[in-house]
Amino acid sequence: MTDNGTYTDATKAKGEPIIEVIGVDKFFDGFQALKDINLRVGLQEVVVVIGPSGSGKSTLIRCINRLEKHDRGRVVVDGIELSDDVKRVQEVRRETGMVFQQFNLFPHLTVIENITLAPRQVRHVPKVEAEEMAMQLLRRVGIPEQANKYPGQLSGGQQQRVAIARSLAMKPKVMMFDEPTSALDPEMIKEVLDAMVELARGGMTMIVVTHEMGFARAVADRIVFMDAGQIVEVGTPEHFFTNPIEDRTKLFLSQIL
Amino acid sequence: MSLETVRPTLPAAPGPSWARRNLFNTWYNGLLTTVLGGLLFAGIWLGARAVAGFDITILEVNLRLFMVGEFPRDQLWRPWLSGGFLAAAIGLAAGLIQAGSRERAARSGLPFTPTTPRDVVRRLAPVIGLVVVLLLLTRTITPTLLTVVVAIVGIVFNVSGRRLHSRWGWVGVGALVVAGYLSLAAFGGVGWEDWGGLHLNVFLTLAGLLFAFPVGILLALGRRSALPVIRALSVTFIEVVRGVPLIAVLLFGAFAIGFLLPEEVRPSQVTRMLIAITAFEAAYVAEVIRGGLQAVPHGQTEAAQSLGLPGRKTMALVVMPQALRASIPPMVGQFISLYKDTTLVAILGIGELLETSFVVNSQPDFLGKGLFVVTLAFAGLIFWVGSYTMSREARRLERRLGVGER
Ligand SMILES: Nc1ncnc2c1ncn2[C@@H]1O[C@H](COP(=O)(O)OP(=O)(O)OP(=O)(O)O)[C@@H](O)[C@H]1O
Ligand SMILES: [Mg+2]
Repeated sequence: MTDNGTYTDATKAKGEPIIEVIGVDKFFDGFQALKDINLRVGLQEVVVVIGPSGSGKSTLIRCINRLEKHDRGRVVVDGIELSDDVKRVQEVRRETGMVFQQFNLFPHLTVIENITLAPRQVRHVPKVEAEEMAMQLLRRVGIPEQANKYPGQLSGGQQQRVAIARSLAMKPKVMMFDEPTSALDPEMIKEVLDAMVELARGGMTMIVVTHEMGFARAVADRIVFMDAGQIVEVGTPEHFFTNPIEDRTKLFLSQIL
Repeated sequence: MSLETVRPTLPAAPGPSWARRNLFNTWYNGLLTTVLGGLLFAGIWLGARAVAGFDITILEVNLRLFMVGEFPRDQLWRPWLSGGFLAAAIGLAAGLIQAGSRERAARSGLPFTPTTPRDVVRRLAPVIGLVVVLLLLTRTITPTLLTVVVAIVGIVFNVSGRRLHSRWGWVGVGALVVAGYLSLAAFGGVGWEDWGGLHLNVFLTLAGLLFAFPVGILLALGRRSALPVIRALSVTFIEVVRGVPLIAVLLFGAFAIGFLLPEEVRPSQVTRMLIAITAFEAAYVAEVIRGGLQAVPHGQTEAAQSLGLPGRKTMALVVMPQALRASIPPMVGQFISLYKDTTLVAILGIGELLETSFVVNSQPDFLGKGLFVVTLAFAGLIFWVGSYTMSREARRLERRLGVGER
């Protein structure tokens, strides 16, 4: 059973809670993918989620921007509780960026069009302004010279950095990453992680599903270990590397480290 | 940046064929080859006629019927004028597409091969050959001169289209098409109810697809709608229409519409055919687009949604453009079959090309002479040239879409 309270006490949120997941259950045709999940993320906090395949990591973060509907419990993002109300869902999605394992860039648009699409269509930012901001973001992730290329012309690492820039262009309060480096060739992982580290150091609130423990050690405030749809253990990277408590955690860590 | 770069990403194309190296190596050589080919063909035809006793007078005297049906002789300037407008529209559109992809290539560094006059001549060789054959059947020099004028108009608009970058160019294409229609039908002209010959086949194909396209998109979206009523209606329409042969839909259109509507508002036979064709094609277009929609990975929708794009914009700006791109090759296939299937309106005695090739045999001069072979071969040649050219262009397009922008 999740003994959430015990472990979360180990770290205090840096700021006010911006994401609250309270008692959430999620079912896929009778199969329970999430079981009574409780998680709070504070402003400017970086939370890394780890766990074996099928443990529900993706489902959890997808419930936070309602790419999946939770079946029980509450999900509150920046004071907005998610429900069937489309407006609220829209509002939450504007404030949460998501980066996918497969990048999911829009192949029919150039890099800069990928980045400016949502700001222009959703926030109604004028074209020139949106493009300036996009170029600034591209410089931040280190690929301003690729602005007019199509995603298919870029390497995986470059594509993932474009995807990060695309999310940032909406000026989200929270960034979520679902295994952002696991589809990449080893030599490209670092450039993406570097961009994420820079983002974390800049004070972005982040939830990152990843098994890159170097990244976790460098910037995570907390690590959440999930197994079989439950949060099994929560603690600082320090806690996980030195004295994890649960047997399941120990077993998992021994497999990936 | 060099615009002459060859595409390195293309799957290894077979080397240029013997014909391409020797007969089509420059545009004028290509034109020469084509014209000489047409003449050769005509020569063989004439020889065969002399030997077998074929009489092509039936084609010569009925050329107008084959091309434009019962269009009044004193109004023949209208089809020519309309042809000029259409040539301008096609030339302009092709030029704009060229300009667009050149610009995109220059920005993104994608390779770009400009279409040279030589390419155009080679790709249009069957059409040019057919035009030569047609002109050989005319008895005065006027049609030849007018054809040259129309071709020049097309070329001039093509060249200016290549220099144009604005989207007003496409408004221009639309205006030219409308002008092409008006020059036939407006101001005491002939409405489409009374069109015939090849002209009618082409019109039914183009108009059928033009109308079927938006309806097809709506049906494809309706099929995925969250509202059960809309979904059920779309699915029923699509499946019923697709389960029935076109000829049945045409007959239904001809008789049911006539039966259901009071005489004052009853549309003409051709209009009924157009409605039936639109309904039929819309169902197929819907299925083609549905296939395109399925080809777009779900991650695209999720990415758009996670950026806060509302459902409609996600569909219109992210999913549909990709789905349409994936639908182009099967859509062209659909277009080609429609072109050939427009001959079915003949069952209602509408004088399209195939019907004409039968009817002329009952003219007193040719009755009982057994010239069906000649007239049918002629109609067949015309259909073949159109279908063949379109399917070759479709294959080219398919290859091009495979690179770069995906
Ligand atoms: N759309 C779906 N329909 C049915 N079952 C699903 C669906 N999405 C996820 N599941 C199931 O829910 C469980 C949790 O899936 P989830 O993708 O969240 O796991 P994960 O921890 O992200 O795993 P991985 O490391 O493989 O990405 C899995 O058993 C999975 O099969
Ligand atoms: Mg996952």
